[in-house]
Amino acid sequence: MTNYSIGLSGLTAAQRAFEAIGNNIANAATEGYHRQRLELSPAFSQNPGSTVFIGGVNVEGITRIIDTLLEQELLRQRSVLASLSQETSALGTIEAAFGEFADEESGLNAAMDNFFTSLQNLSAHPSESIWQNQTVSAAQTLAGQFRYLGQMLTDMKSRLKFQAETCADTINLLTSQVAELNSQIERIKMVGGDANSISDQRDRYIARLAELIAVETIERENGVIDVSSGGLPLVTGASANRIEAGYADTGRLGISILGASTYTTAIEGGTVGGLLTLHNRIVAGIQEDLNCLANSIIQQINQYHAAGIGSAGSFTELSGISLKSDQLSDIGCVTDGTFYIRLTNTVSGQVSRHAITVNAASGTLNDVAASISLIPGLRASVNSLNQLWIQADSNYTFDFLPGALPEPTMVSFADVSAPSVAVAGIYTGTENDTLRFTVRGDGSVGSGSLQLEVRSRDGSGDLLTVLNIGAGYAAGKPLELGNGLTVALSVGSLSESSGDSFSIDVLADSDSSGFLAAAGLNVFFTGTSAADMAVSRRIEANPRQIAVSLGADGHDNINSLRLAAVRDKTFSRLDSLTCSDFYRKMAAGIGEELSVRQTQQTTAETVLLDLTNRQSEISGVDINEQAAELLIFEQMFQAMAQYLNTIKTSLSNLMDIL
Amino acid sequence: MSGLNALYNNAAFALRLHAAAMAVLQEQASTGSRINRPSDDPAAASRLLGLSSQQKYLKAYISSIDSAVSTHEMASTVLQQMASALTESIVRLTQIVSGTYGEGQEGQNARDRTAAEINDVLEQMVALANTKYVDQYIFGGNNTADIPYAVQRSGGEITAVAYCGSSENRSIEAAPGVLASISLAGENLFSSDSPQTPVFYGSTGAKAGTGTSTIRGQVWLTVTFDGSSYCLSIDDGATQIQVPTEGDLSNIAVSDAAGRVLYVDASNLTSAGVEKVTVPGTEDVFTALINLRDLLRNSRGFTDAMLADLIKHSSDSLESVKNSLVEKETLIGARVNFLASLKDNLENIQFNQQQEAAMIQEADIAQIAIDLSRRENLYQMSLLVSGKLMSMSLLDFLK
Repeated sequence: MTNYSIGLSGLTAAQRAFEAIGNNIANAATEGYHRQRLELSPAFSQNPGSTVFIGGVNVEGITRIIDTLLEQELLRQRSVLASLSQETSALGTIEAAFGEFADEESGLNAAMDNFFTSLQNLSAHPSESIWQNQTVSAAQTLAGQFRYLGQMLTDMKSRLKFQAETCADTINLLTSQVAELNSQIERIKMVGGDANSISDQRDRYIARLAELIAVETIERENGVIDVSSGGLPLVTGASANRIEAGYADTGRLGISILGASTYTTAIEGGTVGGLLTLHNRIVAGIQEDLNCLANSIIQQINQYHAAGIGSAGSFTELSGISLKSDQLSDIGCVTDGTFYIRLTNTVSGQVSRHAITVNAASGTLNDVAASISLIPGLRASVNSLNQLWIQADSNYTFDFLPGALPEPTMVSFADVSAPSVAVAGIYTGTENDTLRFTVRGDGSVGSGSLQLEVRSRDGSGDLLTVLNIGAGYAAGKPLELGNGLTVALSVGSLSESSGDSFSIDVLADSDSSGFLAAAGLNVFFTGTSAADMAVSRRIEANPRQIAVSLGADGHDNINSLRLAAVRDKTFSRLDSLTCSDFYRKMAAGIGEELSVRQTQQTTAETVLLDLTNRQSEISGVDINEQAAELLIFEQMFQAMAQYLNTIKTSLSNLMDIL
Repeated sequence: MSGLNALYNNAAFALRLHAAAMAVLQEQASTGSRINRPSDDPAAASRLLGLSSQQKYLKAYISSIDSAVSTHEMASTVLQQMASALTESIVRLTQIVSGTYGEGQEGQNARDRTAAEINDVLEQMVALANTKYVDQYIFGGNNTADIPYAVQRSGGEITAVAYCGSSENRSIEAAPGVLASISLAGENLFSSDSPQTPVFYGSTGAKAGTGTSTIRGQVWLTVTFDGSSYCLSIDDGATQIQVPTEGDLSNIAVSDAAGRVLYVDASNLTSAGVEKVTVPGTEDVFTALINLRDLLRNSRGFTDAMLADLIKHSSDSLESVKNSLVEKETLIGARVNFLASLKDNLENIQFNQQQEAAMIQEADIAQIAIDLSRRENLYQMSLLVSGKLMSMSLLDFLK
């Protein structure tokens, strides 16, 4: 009864076709659905011998219309887009937080400008409280802006880590689902069944995975797909490996198999890749630049400030900041060197200068305090918070002014009627030195051919100048040395043959060790980075303490000019740029990175759109096409039914004949 | 044929693209700025930030220049007033010298009246030298907080004026790398410092020695003879320097307790007496007026003829002081001109930078309007085409 077999096979094929078409239409809008197609082949039967007879239609099965290479490219592109989206979003947040162009006075650029402008204005009015208060206010705004940005970046890194952990949890859920579906697909395939719908579901999970983390897939037998990422095996057959986010030994955020604690940071692609790039490179880079900028401003301003005095004058007591340790090696920016304390007896007017040696490697705060306490008129101690405290005895004041003392540090005059020497002015040289003044000629000051030969390095250095103190020089008149200093000799007799000479120590830098700024003595800013930058409480409480002067009388504005000039100073650690230029480069760099990523994101979206359209073309459901096929199979079913009816009628007629 | 999804994807993508572009254009139109964040144009943003900073600094420089100019103009006014007062005094002295007011007691009465007027001028000079501007002393050099000139008085009258200010001018940055004084050191303005050979007005035979004296202005050299040797004094006998009877007498250092020294050539001394010794080029306005006032009162009992001669010389000194003030005023005027010129340059730079910033930042509203209209059309077209395509299918035609 071959005829009936043929008819039945046709009807069966049509019915299976209806199922496939119906499934396609029902899933036309289902994301990730791949169109299914009924595979038919001609059936045949063979009698003993060599004759082959046709036997209807065989239903081979239902296959998914899928382009594997296209699918893999789609996964890759989704990872790229997700990563770019994450980075763009975070950079946009950072750019908004920096607040440049929000309005004229917002942002760190305006804060820095206002601070340096306030110092410039202060130099014109160094002893007036209005300008002092304005400077403190501008400094507080600057420090506040740095703290806000520093804290924002720190918080952002914390959030990025939290997001990475959340993503890891989601990835773990998805990989477990993929492993479970792998198991089901394998079982079905092994018994020859169709696992198209389950395969689609698994592919949807893998696509979702690809958005979270860049994945590599390998198809094995029986439809099983292994999934890995950056060398980490996520799914192997029917088993899934759980992952976690955490910090590697280098402090960088990474991904590791749960419990292994070997964090790989080289994950690229996907949201996780974006988070790691943000945390380890982009935000870390911005944070480092910001801290470098803050630290440069703090250090330079403090270095200049520590050496000066304010309109309040020299100090009777001074305390430093609380440090984390008594050991100088634990305090940043302290090197081997010397700092000088200038001590003034307010009754006699005598001024002396004392050198304190700093041993950065093995010295302690207590060692420094002990050295200071050896100076008659001064006492120093260190409290439990590692704060250095210096106090002058009554009738004494102290400071750290550079320059020269009002009298020579060494005088060698043979004659009892030798003149007295007075030194005045503010040293403008750039190096510490000892100037030796050697008498040439014999006679009285103001007559004859008496001269003073001035050499650097205590007489062994270059000849700087020769000063006439004979005829033509009025005793007591200041003689310019050409470096901001003057010397004046009173009436008296001098002799070259007796070897008369005197020396003056001149300091350009009264602290070559950096100890004063590091210990917080007479500093303007406290803190070492953007997150903890602040104006010294001593300055906030009394703006007259702003060190505007380098002269002992506290009337000059030299130090305020020097502080204002920090604006134009280049720093090697800031790529040899000024503070403002470095910040502008940083802000423009953030904008540049964001702009590039926005362009890349648009490009990736366009590529993804093209690929998605191509996927729709190959694997998508076209309602029109399905409707046409439905029509065909409907007619086929009707024809096969008519065929069967014809066969039945023929047989009935035959039976009637018999 | 593409599937339904392709139609939807294309439509959604295009709509999103056009909406995002319209949002950007709308922001530019509402703010009037092409650049609202660094990512809009990073290079231009960096330049704008730099221009903004420079505008602030230029404004501060111009403000500093205005302060410096105001101070200098005030100083110039003070010097003009001083010169004017000295000119009137010189006229009065000329009348005294010419005997306009007679001789003897009448002449002394006239000299006493003139001395009183000189005293008033002296008080005026001290007040002018202690001028404050915006609560700062302008002639104290670096020290603008403390009064620069302090006086000693006896019987209510000024006997000495001492400079207590700083010898350094206060400088500020008026332009990048350009320092300008914002205060002036009075000791450099109201006194000269170009000492010449001392001039002896007397008949004792004393002359200037070869050494350089420390005397400023004038001093009275008293020559006494005790029968065997001469003694010299510059503090009315408080400190006596004995002239050796042999040896080199051409450069005797006559000093006093205050440390001043006058080098005297004593080799031709002929008689005792009092010599007025002036050191040209070292006069200061206050000491000159004090000496002149005291001379007019003739406390040393000079004869009319000698007194007239001495007053003539003092008048010459006062003329020299006045000329010095006029000269300093000219220098200050030149400095004001320089600062005004500098300010003009800075204002030009400021204007150019404002123009540049506007060119970089301002949005082209006309172009924005065109672009916005174009985008709106594209947006509507996308919606229309999508609606048409997605509303039809084969099912509409199957019976």
